[in-house]
Amino acid sequence: MRRVALGFTVFAAFVFGAGAAGAQDITVGFVTSLSGPASSIGINYEKGINAAYAYQSEVDGHKINLIKLDDGSDPSAATQNARKLVQQNHVDLMIGTSSAPATNAMLTVANELKVPFIGVSPVNVKIPEEGHPWGIAVPQTPNLMVKVIADRMKREGIKTVGFIGFTDSWGDLVYNGAKAAEQNGGPKVTSNERYTRTDTSVTAQALKVMSTKPDALLDGGSATQAALPLLEMRKLGFKGNFYGTPSLLNRDFVRVGGKAAEGVQVSAGPVIVTSQLPDSHFSKKIGTAFHETFQKVNKSDADDGFSGYSFDGWLIFLNAAKVALKTAKPGTPEFREALMQAIYSNKDVAGVHAIYNFTPKSYYGVDERSLVVVKLVDGKWVYQP
Amino acid sequence: MSARTGRLIVLIAVLALAAAPFYMAPFTITLMNYIGVYSFVALGLVLLTGVAGIVSFGQASFMGIAAYATAWASALMGYSPWLGLVLAIVVTCAVAAVVGIATLRLQGHFLSLSTIAWGLALYFTFGNIAGLGAYNGIPSIPPVSIGTMPLVGSGQIFYLIWGALLLSLLAAHNLLGSRSGRAMRALRGGNALVESLGINALHIRLVTFVVAALLAALSGWLYAHMSRFVSPTPFDVTWSIFFLMMAMVGGSGYLLGAIVGAALITLMKNWIQDLLPLIAPSSSGQLEIVVFSALFIVFLQRARDGIVPYVAQFLPEPRREPPKPAAALPRRPQPDQGGVLMQVEAASRNFGGLIAVNDVSFDVRAGEILALIGPNGAGKTTMFNIITGALRASKGRIVFAGKDITDAPANTIARAGIARTFQHVKLRPKMSLIDNVLLGAYSRTRAGFLAGALRLDRAEEAHARSEAMRQLERVGLGSRPFDLAGNLPLGNQRLLEIARALAADPVLLVLDEPAAGLRRQEKLKLAELLRTLRAEGLTILLVEHDMDFVMGLVDRIVVMEFGCKLCEGTPEAVRADTRVQEAYLGGVV
Amino acid sequence: MNAQIAAILTMDGVATGAIYVLIALGFVLIFAVTRIIFVPFGDITAFTALTLADLEAKRLPGTASMIAVLAIAAALMEVVALLRAGAARRIPHALLYYLVLPLVPAAIVWATAGIAMPAPLRIALTIALILPLAPLLDRIVFRPIADASVLLLLVVSVALHFALVGMGLLFFGPEGVRTQSLVDFSTEIAGTPVSGETLLIVGSAAFFSFLLYLFFNFTLYGKALHATAMNRTGARLMGIRPQQSGTIAFLLGSLLAAVSGVLIAPVNTVFYDSGFLIGLKAFVGAIIGGLVSFPVTAIGSVLVGLLESFAAFQSSPFKEVIVFSILIPVLLWRSYSFVHAEEEDEE
Repeated sequence: MRRVALGFTVFAAFVFGAGAAGAQDITVGFVTSLSGPASSIGINYEKGINAAYAYQSEVDGHKINLIKLDDGSDPSAATQNARKLVQQNHVDLMIGTSSAPATNAMLTVANELKVPFIGVSPVNVKIPEEGHPWGIAVPQTPNLMVKVIADRMKREGIKTVGFIGFTDSWGDLVYNGAKAAEQNGGPKVTSNERYTRTDTSVTAQALKVMSTKPDALLDGGSATQAALPLLEMRKLGFKGNFYGTPSLLNRDFVRVGGKAAEGVQVSAGPVIVTSQLPDSHFSKKIGTAFHETFQKVNKSDADDGFSGYSFDGWLIFLNAAKVALKTAKPGTPEFREALMQAIYSNKDVAGVHAIYNFTPKSYYGVDERSLVVVKLVDGKWVYQP
Repeated sequence: MSARTGRLIVLIAVLALAAAPFYMAPFTITLMNYIGVYSFVALGLVLLTGVAGIVSFGQASFMGIAAYATAWASALMGYSPWLGLVLAIVVTCAVAAVVGIATLRLQGHFLSLSTIAWGLALYFTFGNIAGLGAYNGIPSIPPVSIGTMPLVGSGQIFYLIWGALLLSLLAAHNLLGSRSGRAMRALRGGNALVESLGINALHIRLVTFVVAALLAALSGWLYAHMSRFVSPTPFDVTWSIFFLMMAMVGGSGYLLGAIVGAALITLMKNWIQDLLPLIAPSSSGQLEIVVFSALFIVFLQRARDGIVPYVAQFLPEPRREPPKPAAALPRRPQPDQGGVLMQVEAASRNFGGLIAVNDVSFDVRAGEILALIGPNGAGKTTMFNIITGALRASKGRIVFAGKDITDAPANTIARAGIARTFQHVKLRPKMSLIDNVLLGAYSRTRAGFLAGALRLDRAEEAHARSEAMRQLERVGLGSRPFDLAGNLPLGNQRLLEIARALAADPVLLVLDEPAAGLRRQEKLKLAELLRTLRAEGLTILLVEHDMDFVMGLVDRIVVMEFGCKLCEGTPEAVRADTRVQEAYLGGVV
Repeated sequence: MNAQIAAILTMDGVATGAIYVLIALGFVLIFAVTRIIFVPFGDITAFTALTLADLEAKRLPGTASMIAVLAIAAALMEVVALLRAGAARRIPHALLYYLVLPLVPAAIVWATAGIAMPAPLRIALTIALILPLAPLLDRIVFRPIADASVLLLLVVSVALHFALVGMGLLFFGPEGVRTQSLVDFSTEIAGTPVSGETLLIVGSAAFFSFLLYLFFNFTLYGKALHATAMNRTGARLMGIRPQQSGTIAFLLGSLLAAVSGVLIAPVNTVFYDSGFLIGLKAFVGAIIGGLVSFPVTAIGSVLVGLLESFAAFQSSPFKEVIVFSILIPVLLWRSYSFVHAEEEDEE
């Protein structure tokens, strides 16, 4: 009985204590996967937002309160977190999360509760019929990511490409992107093999791909285990080139892939090779600032693409808040409407990944300037103009 | 606490719930919606695991099938969500029926493991169907509309969820108190008893399984139209495990336990999410599940049966009225006295190399009391098991009332009119006396699951309850019919078994050591009862060791030794037989 | 599919199956003695691999502090229980067993973490560190509920698995590890290349299966352990201490888990959550063995590995569906040949 009473007291304290932000503060909610299968990506997103918050944590004198929640790689939890952020913490804006299904789930809530949402993973929700959408997606579309690398394959004379990817939403997205590229003149996709992150072997899948005799291989995995098919294919004697998407930009992928991963080319946001970019590149200045802040806050280098999305999402928010503060006060529905309108009206926002332009007709807002091709040489990613 | 006070409390609770969106904070209403949706699955688990003893790690998959069915119908095909509901229920129950038929014959561990197996198989199947969005799922599911009003806001869908939940709770409550509910409750503890009462255990398990799947389907439908987005992740084995945890924390044998458990687990996760960043800011995400699991383990170590039974200890006992007398259930005609009722012809049974019953033949005449006696290990109980269908004879024939029952299963034989008691008393200790006796009347009544849930069986129940009271009074246990059977001393437990057997209105009563453990006065009363029954035309076959009891009571005796029939005849003839004397006493006296 | 592909797939299936064998043996061992389905077994394997990788990278693994905390908790619980039972003179022995012994390897690891050391020493230290894990968890989690229903034990087991996975993520991060190879040669069997690692794993699997089979069927001690599972009260009447049997079983199980972790780490990328799915597939092998027979468990696990390999070739997205769907007919077959005498007492 005592324990129950204690529990209730604590609960009440949080229900009532949650809205204790200062009246002029802007409250932002951030959701990512700190546990579960998407955690290797999710933790990178969190590092990105940490760097972003350190870069600028107030707008025109208004302090920003950042609330971070973990969704455990589960879209149900992401939905619940989104509702909590809006209904309990009264956030002005949400940013999230690390997997496509969970991001879709949050966007659905944003559209319903009319709170601006900056998605940092791919989304696929219908544009609402009435009014304007309440969210945007920062990343390049998966189809664009694959198109850029497919164009590179075409340039290098690749006619057929085999596909091995994860048995998850990301694997689906890359495969669909490859098929879309094929429709538009890209290399023919000869296989659709899948494996899970915790598999002990991909010999069978690799054998199947090799039996279709492709010129090259497109890797649809992500992080460490994306190295597995490459290791296996080389062991089985495959001589063709490897290509991939930004999800291969991962320190452990490089480590585990070793010699087999040498020479793999991936499409990537410019943030990964900021130091190698010419000074005239749109992301040189902001990218350098990003890398510096990231190193200071997280005590490591930003050698993945995901943290950059968080940072760019923050930049978009900062620019919008600056405009919105002119006409409304934080914590009000008018402020949220103003934020969303500002996101649409701000043009050519330069981030570490891309130049952003958003309209109510689509969730995405980047173009081909947002991707470059990089090659893994001696354990480092090198810009391939 | 009387029934009226109980109903008043329930009414107040329902009113408080109905007013909730007006006085609770919006996020609390959101949490309540999740709790409501999860409670459906937990309720199914209470029925399936808590009551019927079938541990299922696959309920989230059923939720998923329903969610995907309605998502396909409403988001991809453009139909109304209500049509999606129909589709969801039909598809989920069909799949459950197929899976159930395939796996419900398994026992214990193997059954639970099979639920993990198909649970995982279904999860990976969802993720692989491109037409259902594969791992990215189906977004933009339209909300449910009542008339022209779409239920979009938390406060709106709240009523749909909790209204449906309360109705389901009511139906489940009715079901558990009905004939089918008693059969479900009787499933735990082994099949031997259940089959001997004429209950087809597999059928009951299958329907319970489909009912649990139906509840999970309702949950899935509500979930899909509440989140308006489905993907495979919320329906994987981890969620099945959470639902099982909810049922266990609340109290897996109690209907309210489903809601209490769902509420506690959902709230606990939420509190942990709020508290942890204050204690361990940098690693709170990773620690959440650790803290949650640790709390759960500690909880189960302290309160194994869950919260509801723990709290119920402190509440006053509900007062229950004994059933009013009502018209009797129709009775079976008894066969003519003196004719042959049952013939055992050259029955044999061996277990591997051990021959337990060896070529035994005897007749049972209608209206007589026949005793089967013999030293320990003579094969008497095995003979009984062959007659009642608990075991199959290796050789020989058994003919009962003109029908060959040699290969018939136990529940068919029970329905043909043979009722039995067991050497090691088989009761359901957690059910009341009257419920145990009502189990005996199962084959004389007909109300099914649906009738039970909708309370359409009140008339038949009244007849059956009155009959059960009659039998309880007959054996002398009528004063406290709502006591738990497990609290009775052994002698009274044997009497209860007899009452249960009588409630089945048998033609032949088969009693295995009915007098064992009774004191002298009780034995006299029992003998009196058996004589009365014989006078009413009932035929009785019994095994006994107490010679005084047997000699003064029975009409004829069959003696067995080492599996063979030694001799047969009246008590005096048997007593004088030298072979019998040798077998019992090692020599002629 | 031609002969060469089939040969490669077979080799791959046997290699995967051998990993499952080691884990399946552990499941059967613990179940045969305690009637607990020890779901976290796979997680202990993963922990071993991750700890070894940390030591290799000259980092202090979080496992050391976890063992220390668990040791202290278990020792406290044991001391309190002994005091309550009035058996205070057994306290020194309990302290030695629950506190001192587990803390020794933890202390060594803590002291030597940043120093490079030869591979055999590193492996031995890892195994010594992990060894107390299962018995400590048994004492803290299962002992207070040792007489509970099978369902409760199973659900608690699953909760423990969640906790271990969470600790794994906390200590070792979300990325996977691969350790250095244990042996460096590779050879050819029937024209297909086979690495020395694979041979080592297959050899260990065979060795342990045989060893456990002999132990449980031919030694008095093994039979005593088995008796405890059949009937705790009967075993106690025969002078066998069920608690002690349980502890021994968990200790042996820990050893198997640690060895399998050390063997797997060089050939597979091990993640903090690799344990569950691998454990589950190994469990399919254990079920084929009816949860009683070690040789059949070994054969069954290899069959699971082969099935997975060939299913992956045929249709890799559906490979999990195939492997787990096969489990159902296997369960049906197995349950017909299983004696359910104890089923009747479940109430």
